[in-house]
Amino acid sequence: MRGDNLEEALKDVLRHDVSVEAPHLEGLEERIVAELEGRLPKRGFVETLKQLCAPTRGARLGQLAVIGATAVVFLLVGTFLVGRAPFLGGGPNRTATMSAAAESGNAVLFLMPAPGAQSVTVVGNFNDWEPTPLSDDDGDGIWTASIPLSPGRYEYAFVVDGRWWGQDPLADEYVRSFGDYSSVRYVGRAGEGA
Amino acid sequence: MSEEAPKGVYRVRDEVSLLRSSLDGETEAWGEIVTRYKEAVFGLCLGFLRNRADAEDLTHDTFIRAYENLRRYRLEKRFSTWLFTIASNLCRNRLRHRRYHPVLPPPEEVSGGSDPAVVVGREDRWARIRRGLNRLPDAYRAPIVLRYYNDLTYQEIAEVLSLPEGTVKTRLHRGKAMLKQAIEENGVIHHERG
Repeated sequence: MRGDNLEEALKDVLRHDVSVEAPHLEGLEERIVAELEGRLPKRGFVETLKQLCAPTRGARLGQLAVIGATAVVFLLVGTFLVGRAPFLGGGPNRTATMSAAAESGNAVLFLMPAPGAQSVTVVGNFNDWEPTPLSDDDGDGIWTASIPLSPGRYEYAFVVDGRWWGQDPLADEYVRSFGDYSSVRYVGRAGEGA
Repeated sequence: MSEEAPKGVYRVRDEVSLLRSSLDGETEAWGEIVTRYKEAVFGLCLGFLRNRADAEDLTHDTFIRAYENLRRYRLEKRFSTWLFTIASNLCRNRLRHRRYHPVLPPPEEVSGGSDPAVVVGREDRWARIRRGLNRLPDAYRAPIVLRYYNDLTYQEIAEVLSLPEGTVKTRLHRGKAMLKQAIEENGVIHHERG
């Protein structure tokens, strides 16, 4: 098969396969619009918030007390979760809460405390999800790797003895897909791609 | 929201206007964007993942993720390239998930459906191409799909995959060579790293 023929055949195959399967996309736009509309805040709730933010003189003190009490409850729940949830503060080793990808010049330091681990690697969209090994040369249980990265948004996770560890506590944010967390790190200016 | 605006109005509006309306919360405008791009995004996902159910899921997720991140989109970039970048990242996450979660059932092969009008010889050749694509390493299949299904330039593929343009050209060249060999040897891929 000559190169040109292969390219034409590739186009034909890919387009044909899509045309065969495309009917399954019927109604996708309606489903997406419905999903997005379902996420918009309820008008009643917004109105309630507005009312709370612009209270009458007589009710101001009482409403401020309600807002204050709500804030305290959120703070307490948040503190409780930070103490409990592994993706917010824990790790494979609960005493080692410092796991970080810190920037150093052009290189980003990936750091994972995992005492006793046999192997620690980092996978991410910067290495096409192929494992880059971390090392623990001094045997203190802190595994590190320094990887040069250009400015952008990077998704990554650690793999400790073959086990996925997607919640770097000091990551900029997390994404959750297919039931697993991955960490997100912004290097330099925030990446434009999502 | 634009409950007053009839849906047909969106069909004649230009892309930038639709994106601006979407940013203002007009989800129906985003629905028109979905209509215009759903097949291209689905084709990308199907090509990357070689599995219809996964491709459908990720087509949906791409449009939701893009809507959520629309404020990050910059008009100087082609919208389609930005959208394909999101789809590509989601696909690579899914492929990564498959790699680290081998308990999942293996992806089904895209059958291409049945078309009574096709010539038998062409069907056989197309079946070999499909088998070759299914077995091609992800890193080589992705640029091939973007080039021969989505019709992107080398530069656009480089942008979508966050790769240097030279690497894109190399992977396309090697990918096609592997595919050609696979077609001749009935779907067997000989992958050399590097």
